[in-house]
Amino acid sequence: MSKDAPTSLGRMLLLVGRVALAAVFLVAAYAKLKPQGAMTWSPASVKTSLAMFAMQVDSYQMLSVNAANFVAHALPPFELFLGLWLLSGIALRFSSLISTLLLGGFFTVMVRTYALGLEVSCGCFGPGEQLGTKTLLRDGALLALSVAVCIGAFLIRRKPS
Amino acid sequence: MNLKMHSVHWRFLGSICALFALAVVVLGAEWISPARAQAQAAASAKQPAKTSAKSAPKAAQAEQVGPPNKGVGSPSAPITMEVFSDYQCPMCGQLFQQTLRPMINDYVASGKVYLIHRDFPLPIADHRFNWDAARWGTAAARIGKFEEVDTTLYDNVRAWGADGNIQKFVAGALNPADFKRVQKLVAGCLAQTPQEFRPPVQAGQGCSLDAYINQDIALGKQVPVQATPTYVITKRGQRMPPGSGFVSWPLMKQFLDSLLTP
Repeated sequence: MSKDAPTSLGRMLLLVGRVALAAVFLVAAYAKLKPQGAMTWSPASVKTSLAMFAMQVDSYQMLSVNAANFVAHALPPFELFLGLWLLSGIALRFSSLISTLLLGGFFTVMVRTYALGLEVSCGCFGPGEQLGTKTLLRDGALLALSVAVCIGAFLIRRKPS
Repeated sequence: MNLKMHSVHWRFLGSICALFALAVVVLGAEWISPARAQAQAAASAKQPAKTSAKSAPKAAQAEQVGPPNKGVGSPSAPITMEVFSDYQCPMCGQLFQQTLRPMINDYVASGKVYLIHRDFPLPIADHRFNWDAARWGTAAARIGKFEEVDTTLYDNVRAWGADGNIQKFVAGALNPADFKRVQKLVAGCLAQTPQEFRPPVQAGQGCSLDAYINQDIALGKQVPVQATPTYVITKRGQRMPPGSGFVSWPLMKQFLDSLLTP
């Protein structure tokens, strides 16, 4: 077994993890922006989808109305950007670090909301999904993936092949 | 040593990837099941009126009162909002007081929104009188006085939630004649209310109200309602995904405005 074998396997895993993480963010952004009901894609449908997402952010009862509205309108485009950034592989250490911080933030908010017994829509991948143990497990696993990609990105940087 | 360390790192990464694959399966399962449930609900929610008419108890027809109308506003409004609610759920009360009340005064009054209350009493030990509150509301809805009773139930939930004396507040919200009609409808139904607060029951009188409440619950299960309050918004037949929990009026208004914008 050559000395480089673990590294090349690691690079492969890092690629898979990075693409998977990018896909998660792209899907999350799409789910929040896509037209609701039988609407078709248009600026008005995106406005409606973001307004619906704002209600979901508000239901967590953590932010003021204005802050919830800002987060709801800023988050989906940011997720889209982060997904594309992760996919590109450019400065992966930083993109994976940001994704870890973002997912860590989401996970903290979800755990707090669940612990408080608030029964709200998760809003993670669009509307209509109740916050519960399944969503917590899923987001915990995504956070673990992001942490792994982040560690991998820093390791690869320290030990170039 | 270095090589070993590297192996450990990559094994760690490998196991995280396996964990992620598991998460993808969970994610997929979660996505598929609500989508199916929503499709079924959309198909069955098209005929709630038919179901009501079919299963309306015969005893109810004999009382010469109509089926309960728990709608507020004009049924021809472009937006219909159904709210599945439990009168003793704190967040339902918060939603009513802070969001639905201004909505009724503004968007319902101006014919933009038709608001429908759906009873979804939860099987929670603390909610001792939630079914009886729903029965009073349903009885009032059968004589066209739902809005008055609905409001008083939410306004005074702390008081009647403590002792079960719901009729005191219903009596205060209606004129004596209407209260007597409601009292007569609800008389044989109050299973949770203490004896001293129950209206007298005539011999052989059954309860015709629970069938209507069960219809609301059945509709809720089709949505599916997983918590209260859950709201379902429909714009000219286009059903939006359900939302749950408390929502501030400014954000609800923003959403309704986006739907009303051509």
